[in-house]
Amino acid sequence: MTTNTYIHGIGMTKFGTHEDRTLKDLLLDASRQALEDAGRPKVDAVFVGNFLAGSMSNQEILGAIVANDLGLGFVPTAKVEGACASGGIALRQAVLAVMSGEHDTVLVAGVEKMKHAKTAEVTQAINAAMDTDSSEKSAGLTFPGFFGVLANRYFHETGASKKHLAMVALKNRENAMNNPLAQFSKATSLEEIMNARMITEPLGLFDCSPMTDGAAALVISRKPSGIHIKASSLVSGPTQMQDASDLLSIPAIGESGRRAYEKAGLGPEDIDVVEIHDCFSMTEMIAIEELGFFPRLEGWKAVEKGLTKANGEKPVNTSGGLLSRGHPIGATGVAQIYQLVRQLRGDAANQVEGARIALAQNLGGTGSYSAVHILERV
Amino acid sequence: MKKLKVYSCCGHDTVVKRVYCPSCGANEISEREVEDKGSIYSFTKIHVPPSEFAHLAPYYVALVQLDGTSAKVTARMTEDIAIGDQVELDKVEDGAYLYKSV
Repeated sequence: MTTNTYIHGIGMTKFGTHEDRTLKDLLLDASRQALEDAGRPKVDAVFVGNFLAGSMSNQEILGAIVANDLGLGFVPTAKVEGACASGGIALRQAVLAVMSGEHDTVLVAGVEKMKHAKTAEVTQAINAAMDTDSSEKSAGLTFPGFFGVLANRYFHETGASKKHLAMVALKNRENAMNNPLAQFSKATSLEEIMNARMITEPLGLFDCSPMTDGAAALVISRKPSGIHIKASSLVSGPTQMQDASDLLSIPAIGESGRRAYEKAGLGPEDIDVVEIHDCFSMTEMIAIEELGFFPRLEGWKAVEKGLTKANGEKPVNTSGGLLSRGHPIGATGVAQIYQLVRQLRGDAANQVEGARIALAQNLGGTGSYSAVHILERV
Repeated sequence: MKKLKVYSCCGHDTVVKRVYCPSCGANEISEREVEDKGSIYSFTKIHVPPSEFAHLAPYYVALVQLDGTSAKVTARMTEDIAIGDQVELDKVEDGAYLYKSV
């Protein structure tokens, strides 16, 4: 069943370091932009995606803050948490609220502020997205660690190597260089990426998404617009690496994709442009397989052929992705939609000519959550 | 003492204990002890740890394929390792399985 919800407005701050701006300032900025882009409609509800404001900024009640400080009145609001999928889940909750008939027009925002803290502290805080009551957490596994373990096995079972991961990182950096809102605009090379310092072997610095400050927002409504949300799906998956029946599969991604395709009546071949949750270069490799764009264990061949470049047959992460656009955790899922709406409107960074159908996939944890949205230009 | 427990139902073995089997819904999932030995299925060397493990870095986290079951267990190691290496449980410390090469 396709939804009857449409996107009316989008907003986004620059992603990067905002030393002199608060979490609230970023959140309100993106929200205000989205409302003005939508023509200042009456908002019936607000959903905010966020993961770390409580632990790193001692700030909750983000939904109420948005409604109060924007002057939206006594509308229902909620913060939505789903680790790195918080933004995608916030959008899904808004879509469901519209589909249910409860609300006509809903503001969705995502925000995170991370750059004020040390890497070890952020890594510690992000580990809250693991099952912390497990031997695996006690062993010292981290998120980049999980994808390092996955990458070594992927190399073992395929012809892929660290160079293929570097190709993913380089592609996304090249895309980000054309995106004025992206965190990184400096040119790099395969050599620099492959020789960068190790984080969790075989993943080096460029294989890992950065810490980022930033916010993004959307206005959705049952009233028609030029951008139809054709499908919204969300699933949960394994919460521990040692519980996965196949390390080289992230079933939450595959299942959320299958459900979204079914709702939309479409298949992977119909998608013109994609934003994928490349929290690590390895994650993008697995996701392009799980979403059916390329056969299992052959994503690396597609990367090698350049098929996922902005001018390739399946453009992935034309925004620069999490790796180079940046990854302010709660904002990421919303920022993916921002880029895809720009693609469908025809004025995006790295515009894909004639893009009509777009897909966003937003991952939380090591596959604990995956949200997929399919958009259509109508 | 060092024996690992594996939980099985519907052909799936795992070290993670569930309330119900996700395949058939049964609430009586069988439980058995398995050998401490296994082989390295995959691994990573962690150079950038969270603050609570900073004093250990760099360290290895390995996914160990346990002998006699399809279940795997996540372990910490200090030695250089490669996929396929034979390993065994050394001790359980602060809730973590510490493995060593055989």
